[in-house]
Amino acid sequence: MRKRRSLTDLDQDIRDHIERETEDNIDRGMSPEEARTAALRKFGNVSLVKEDTWRVWNPVWVEQLVQDLRYCARTLRRSPAFTVVVTLTLAVAIGMNTAAFSIVNAVLLKPLMYSNPDRWVWVANYNRQFKNEFVSGPDFFDWRAQAQSFEGLAGYDYQDSTIATGEGATEERIAQVSNEFWQLSGAQTTAGRLLRAEDQDALLLTARFFERRFGGDPRVIGTTVTLEGRPVTIVGVLAPGFRFLLPMPPAFSDPNDPKEIEAYTPLDIRPETEIRGGPTAVIHVVGKLKPGVAIEQARAEIETIQASIAKANPEWSYGDFQLHVDPLQEKLVGASRPALLVLSSAAALVLLIACANVVSLLLARASARRREVAIRAAAGAGKWRVFRQFFAEGILLAAMGGATGLFVAYGATATILRLSRNAVPRIGEAVVDGRVLAFTAAISMGVAIFFGFAPAISLWKTNLHSTLKDGARTFSASSTSLRFRGLLVAGELALAVVLLVGAGLLVKSFRLMNAHPPGFAPERVLVMTVVLSGPAYAGRPAQEAYMEEVLRRIESVSGVEAAGISDPHFMQGIARVEGIPAPLPGQPRPMVSFNMASMAYGKAIGMQLVKGRWTTDSEPAPVLVINRSFARRIFESENPLGRRIRVPGALGDEEPYATVVGIVDDLKYSKLDAEPQPEVLVPYKQSPFLRAANVTVRVAGDPLAMAPALRKLISEIDKSQPVYDVKTLEEALADSIAPRRFNLYLLGTLATVALLLAVIGVYGVIAYSVAQRTHEIGVRMALGATRPEVIGMVVRQGLGVALTGIGIGVAGAFLLTRMMESLLYQVNPTDPQTFAAVAIALALTALIASWGPALKAALVDPVIALRCE
Amino acid sequence: MSTKEDPGRIELLQGTLDLLILRTLLLGPAHGHAICKTIERSSDDVLQVEQGSLYPALHRLIKRGWITFDEGTSENNRRAKYYRLTAKGRKQLELETSRWDKLARAIAQILRPT
Repeated sequence: MRKRRSLTDLDQDIRDHIERETEDNIDRGMSPEEARTAALRKFGNVSLVKEDTWRVWNPVWVEQLVQDLRYCARTLRRSPAFTVVVTLTLAVAIGMNTAAFSIVNAVLLKPLMYSNPDRWVWVANYNRQFKNEFVSGPDFFDWRAQAQSFEGLAGYDYQDSTIATGEGATEERIAQVSNEFWQLSGAQTTAGRLLRAEDQDALLLTARFFERRFGGDPRVIGTTVTLEGRPVTIVGVLAPGFRFLLPMPPAFSDPNDPKEIEAYTPLDIRPETEIRGGPTAVIHVVGKLKPGVAIEQARAEIETIQASIAKANPEWSYGDFQLHVDPLQEKLVGASRPALLVLSSAAALVLLIACANVVSLLLARASARRREVAIRAAAGAGKWRVFRQFFAEGILLAAMGGATGLFVAYGATATILRLSRNAVPRIGEAVVDGRVLAFTAAISMGVAIFFGFAPAISLWKTNLHSTLKDGARTFSASSTSLRFRGLLVAGELALAVVLLVGAGLLVKSFRLMNAHPPGFAPERVLVMTVVLSGPAYAGRPAQEAYMEEVLRRIESVSGVEAAGISDPHFMQGIARVEGIPAPLPGQPRPMVSFNMASMAYGKAIGMQLVKGRWTTDSEPAPVLVINRSFARRIFESENPLGRRIRVPGALGDEEPYATVVGIVDDLKYSKLDAEPQPEVLVPYKQSPFLRAANVTVRVAGDPLAMAPALRKLISEIDKSQPVYDVKTLEEALADSIAPRRFNLYLLGTLATVALLLAVIGVYGVIAYSVAQRTHEIGVRMALGATRPEVIGMVVRQGLGVALTGIGIGVAGAFLLTRMMESLLYQVNPTDPQTFAAVAIALALTALIASWGPALKAALVDPVIALRCE
Repeated sequence: MSTKEDPGRIELLQGTLDLLILRTLLLGPAHGHAICKTIERSSDDVLQVEQGSLYPALHRLIKRGWITFDEGTSENNRRAKYYRLTAKGRKQLELETSRWDKLARAIAQILRPT
């Protein structure tokens, strides 16, 4: 600041000074001309004065650095190919690291956007049997009434619900949040107001939904829309930055595909109706600690409350539960940490590989510039000055790479967000902000220093005298540098092996997840969801009539091979089987998922019958079909056919028994990375729930081409009932493993870049060495070496480097891949098949990369090569 | 870069210019040319300032925070930077003056031992 102000107008100051002196001189009686000359003489050398003054503010080294940078810019402009290759290499590497960091920053580092983010905690009862976390309504109200550690506790739940306006009905994910949340979070609205305690049928929109569905028209506030058939009033719109950052763990009925919350309603549960023994709500709970209260204190307090609840209610199996109280941020993103750690490490490895490539190029350039350096040294440049020259070059290259890298980072982040919007919690907050820019600047400067060192060290020992005397390249010196470059490339290959093995393990996991029985063909199956809402469908006959009509209409379409309905979240629980005693509390019991199915459902989704028969749509008596896992886990070696199982869900009366009439094969049709679960299929007309259905249609042709027609067909039955989530089963399955797909894409991309860079590195070193050895090769050929011998010599050299690198890489990968154990599915982190495949693939690639230079070597004409000298 | 000079004038010792500038500004704010004139005149034109060297010196003093400047207009309505002492500069001047006295006494003692 001060510097700028002082230095501006320096020219003017000096001019004024000289003018004043001139005037003084004139006053003393000199002629104007004489006066000016005298004034100038008295002032001294103007440009020297200016320079001296400038130097007061800018130390000598800055000035020299500017000089060096200018010089480097000139030399780099003279070798554009080198400059472009280096800049692009660095841009890709730095860009990927920046993108990775922007995600890590958003997900793991940035505090939650709610007020006092560090005081938010997640409170849940973990059920050891079902391995899930939830809170029952009565427990929540007891905690809320008794716990002193919290500023507040808020309950919430979420589901997909139909929102109907005059323009039609859509299915949106809606969260029910208890009133405390709005006070605790410090959320802001841009229009209208937040939800209040007294609100009942109120709807609070997110900014996104407000734009998308209501065109951002503030007049919708105060109007009424239909939510699941009941009228609700829109009360406000949340600020655009607000996000739902509460954990969405898979529980009993929660949809577990990742989607964003579009609107909020009050959590409609009351202490008066939440009574143990009656039907109670299952919710999630977050709390905000009072200032100064440690999380351990809160945990101990809730534990005490919970213990007294368990004591007062001995008939409820509270022994199965374990209390979880965790920091909210940890609960929300903790599970993503291993994957992000692996990804950012992978990005760092790519950066290392890129740096090795660039250093290798710089070394080649340095040996070419040996003479230039020697001349500069002879002309009086100190070693430090020459040294600094290389640093300047490093800084310039790194700065260009970093700046270009920002564009790469920007594109990469946008692409990642587009591909995997919901794969990782909070990923939507990823932006290139100040912290990310600082990160990029820091790694660019790290890279710059790295670049400066390598060539400087290689030239440090240059003997001025011999370099100048020899004139031409000296073999001994360049072979040292070549050996070093060989080492660099071996290192690169080693890193590439680590990355490729990592990616390979993910690919194998992916293949195993997608290993389907023959005939499943999910790409030919279309799935969609219908949820009946509104008073017209409150009764069973209307629901049944609607479903029958859906099936009848779809089956009549030509090209449809089979169509069936099932229920996405009918129920999960314990199977009560006649003749098998109910397990005691604390004893392990397999979770069973109950589903419904229409007659052709099995054919539509691709389920194979193993034993017995399928159920039909008009069974006279209660029957059901079980899958192989159910048969194995519950009936063990006994024959399940003819046994009876209670169908849950029928409230009031005793739940009826149904007879097992068939066994089907296990099929992973909802979550690819889950083990097959014991499953029961009840004929849909005997199902206690018929409000929601997944419609599954197997078609002969392209399912997506038929989708619009089928969708229209169903919605024409009743326009007020939306059909949504229309996709192929293949897509639905892919969505079920979105986080894994995210990992695979990113690690796969990084590994590919690593491979490319490593190949370029191998090629560069071998080609350079061939160019250096042209003379030697000429001599060899003149002495009788045949072309195949020359090719063999060069390829051997390349393979030597490659095999060293691959060897180190395999050893390194062996140690490192256990870091990603949690990301794998049924694959051992040291899977020999993957290791072998990567090693062989890389060796082959290295062979191909050295083949080109080898052929070039073989084409050396001994006469020309020798004459060159 | 002194050219032919009359022998009655003495060139400034290295480093003393800073001290003289500070001393001159003790009298009040002044612009660059005026500072030169004051130094020359108050030494009865014995000390000769190479006027150009004033500017690096002024900037050095600004950087150290001993003087600062304001934009102003001079007697004949010309724009000028008026340099003035800061509190820090005043203290420094005292320090330098006493140091100078010591030095002068020491040198005098060597040259004319009593």
